Amino acid sequence: MPLDVIMPALGMAQDTGLIVAWHKHPGEAVAVGDVLFEVETDKATMEVEAQGDGFLTGVAAEAGQEVPVGQVIAQISDSAEAPAPAPAPDAKPDAKPDAKPDAIPEGDTIIMPTLGMAQDSGLLVRWLKAPGDAVQADDPLFEVETDKSTVEVAAGQDGFLAATLADEGEDVPVGQIIAIISAEKPANPVTRSAAQGSVAPKVVEKPSQAPPRASVAKPEHPAPIAPGGRILASPKARRLALEQGLDLARLVAAGHAQPFHASDIDTLRAMPVASAQTTAAAPARRLTAEIAQDGFAAFADWAAQEAGISDSDALLAGLAAASLGQGDATINVQAFERDRLFVGDGTQATAQQVPEGQPDLVLRDLRFTAITALCLGPEDQPVLTLTRSGTGYAVTFECAADQMSAPRAIAVLSAFAGRMQQPLRHLL
Amino acid sequence: MREITLSQAVNEALAEEMRRDPTVFIIGEDVAEAGTPFKVLSGLVEEFGTHRVVDTPIAEPGFTGIAVGAAMTGTRPVVDLMFGDFLFLIMDQLCNQAAKTHYMSGGKLNVPLVLRTNLGATRRSAAQHSQSLHALVAHIPGLKVALPSSAYEAKGLMKTAIRDNNPVVIFEDKLMYQEKAPVPEGEFLIPFGVANVLREGHDITLIGTSSMVQVCAKAADILAKDGISAEVIDPRTIVPLDEAALVKSAKKTSRVIVVDEGHQSFGVTSEIASRINEKAFYHLDAPALRMGAMDVPVPFSPALEDITVPTPEGVAEAARKLVRGEMIHAA
Repeated sequence: MPLDVIMPALGMAQDTGLIVAWHKHPGEAVAVGDVLFEVETDKATMEVEAQGDGFLTGVAAEAGQEVPVGQVIAQISDSAEAPAPAPAPDAKPDAKPDAKPDAIPEGDTIIMPTLGMAQDSGLLVRWLKAPGDAVQADDPLFEVETDKSTVEVAAGQDGFLAATLADEGEDVPVGQIIAIISAEKPANPVTRSAAQGSVAPKVVEKPSQAPPRASVAKPEHPAPIAPGGRILASPKARRLALEQGLDLARLVAAGHAQPFHASDIDTLRAMPVASAQTTAAAPARRLTAEIAQDGFAAFADWAAQEAGISDSDALLAGLAAASLGQGDATINVQAFERDRLFVGDGTQATAQQVPEGQPDLVLRDLRFTAITALCLGPEDQPVLTLTRSGTGYAVTFECAADQMSAPRAIAVLSAFAGRMQQPLRHLL
Repeated sequence: MREITLSQAVNEALAEEMRRDPTVFIIGEDVAEAGTPFKVLSGLVEEFGTHRVVDTPIAEPGFTGIAVGAAMTGTRPVVDLMFGDFLFLIMDQLCNQAAKTHYMSGGKLNVPLVLRTNLGATRRSAAQHSQSLHALVAHIPGLKVALPSSAYEAKGLMKTAIRDNNPVVIFEDKLMYQEKAPVPEGEFLIPFGVANVLREGHDITLIGTSSMVQVCAKAADILAKDGISAEVIDPRTIVPLDEAALVKSAKKTSRVIVVDEGHQSFGVTSEIASRINEKAFYHLDAPALRMGAMDVPVPFSPALEDITVPTPEGVAEAARKLVRGEMIHAA
């Protein structure tokens, strides 16, 4: 199988590299460690070595050309000819140092995700599926421990776990392929450890396959890592960050020089809350819905006059409980100077206040504040936040990815927004 | 207010206490007619006589031992140790006897002794007459250690030391004897264990002892021109130490430099910096920095001797680095 030669990411914030010169000609034999080409970045010129033995083929970029990081610029093939599109996968003596004991099945690749900004590897705590198991997109596939937390990672696609390429307890570099999910049930699921050598970044892909998913693609800008993987910050800076719920890793990602001091916390506080990268990497869900017309106020008036229900919190909790659609649900209604618990079963207009309980959902009523938008990140329970928006409301739903699947989060928010718009429909 | 020298301030304190309490007496080498090589005691023998200002042979262990015994039996001796370097000669009398007698007698015996001695380099006195050995005695439980930083401090601390019922070692900086400072007429005492905030600031705390308090104050002047506001604190006594005041200031400014003329390693700077790290850790924006004398025998060569001790410029430069957030890899 030909080995792709890609433009490497040599700098922390580099998106392209200039090929200064090729040191091997197309068709020339190369061995591991041979210098293939020279790259110039904004910082330095570096020689890039061959990662495998074979012949340099398919050179797609010339000297003097600026190439995006990650782009394939050549291949190292088993013969000097142009690479065969589908080489025989096995039964052939493999000269590569990371010779594979058995073939990797076809399918979508699952990589070790970047869960923290300053994370270079993740400890695979355990597999939650066995090789050969059928998996749904939402099924937790494995558990990863970073220096911050342990996180369950979902499969992300339906299929069969065709290969696990890392053992439990192994520390796997971020971006390394650790599993394959195939469309067909695999005849011989493969189990291998990460130490046996990483799989080439491009496993054979089905021609009909959709473009690679964002979660599968190798991050273009790996988060800069402090020496030893630890962020350097003064004790005061760490305390302030903790007190204010700020993540120092964002400063690292933005390229601020370490060690961080108290003054850097001011910078961090002023930074936009979520960069595209954190959104992609953080295991959180955030959905918003706009309700153009305020149907709730009229409903609350009607309920007070006709049914004698003057507690609008109880009404809100009732709507929220019904939107969860799970029978009895405990709703924690929080508003300015109020924090109350209600239990509703979704069949009644109102929920009953209870003295204590474990809430299934927090409903934060900020309609009477100046706040119009927020992004607070996942909390202990899923949170629905009501804010004013024009003549109506905006509803923001936030939860951790493991608290609720994406389809369920969408369903809950849609149901709640619908009920807020036309509360009477809820009664029918 | 009138200004007098540190020398005159010590002299006044001794004279006032000797008039007040007939059990107070002075014992040491060249204390009577000579009035010590630094002329600190001039005039005392004329007022109080040779039975209360006692000249001894050159025998430090002998006269210190006599004083410890005299203190146990009802007097308040003020031992004059001509140079701090001679502490090594009287370690047993001071550390094994005076420091432990109250404890080992179950409180039945007190040793209300004051040991007056000195510290400080840059007097071209070479390695055996230039040491600052206060950390050595501060290490021994049972001894109090006062480090006056001006004539005013010297008078107030000396009077408190003489009235203390436990052994107190006072180190005067021999380069400050002729330095003048405002000292009020009449009696005043400075309590032990109460730090003095000479100057308030919010960017960095400079903690200095003895003559290093002046070094810190001058460094604060330099820093003020750079727009850096330095707080200067004098602990006055390192045993007992006003830890609360130092920690409070460290929490306020989040940066600390401790400046002391003893050798940097295992010294006063290490102890104070360490306590601040323990008690104010989550408020520190930079490591608490030690600036002591170089870990070398004090050189006789003036050019070399001068670079072994902290200077205002050196303290200011280190402070700038801390405030700018630069990592300091000090030796």
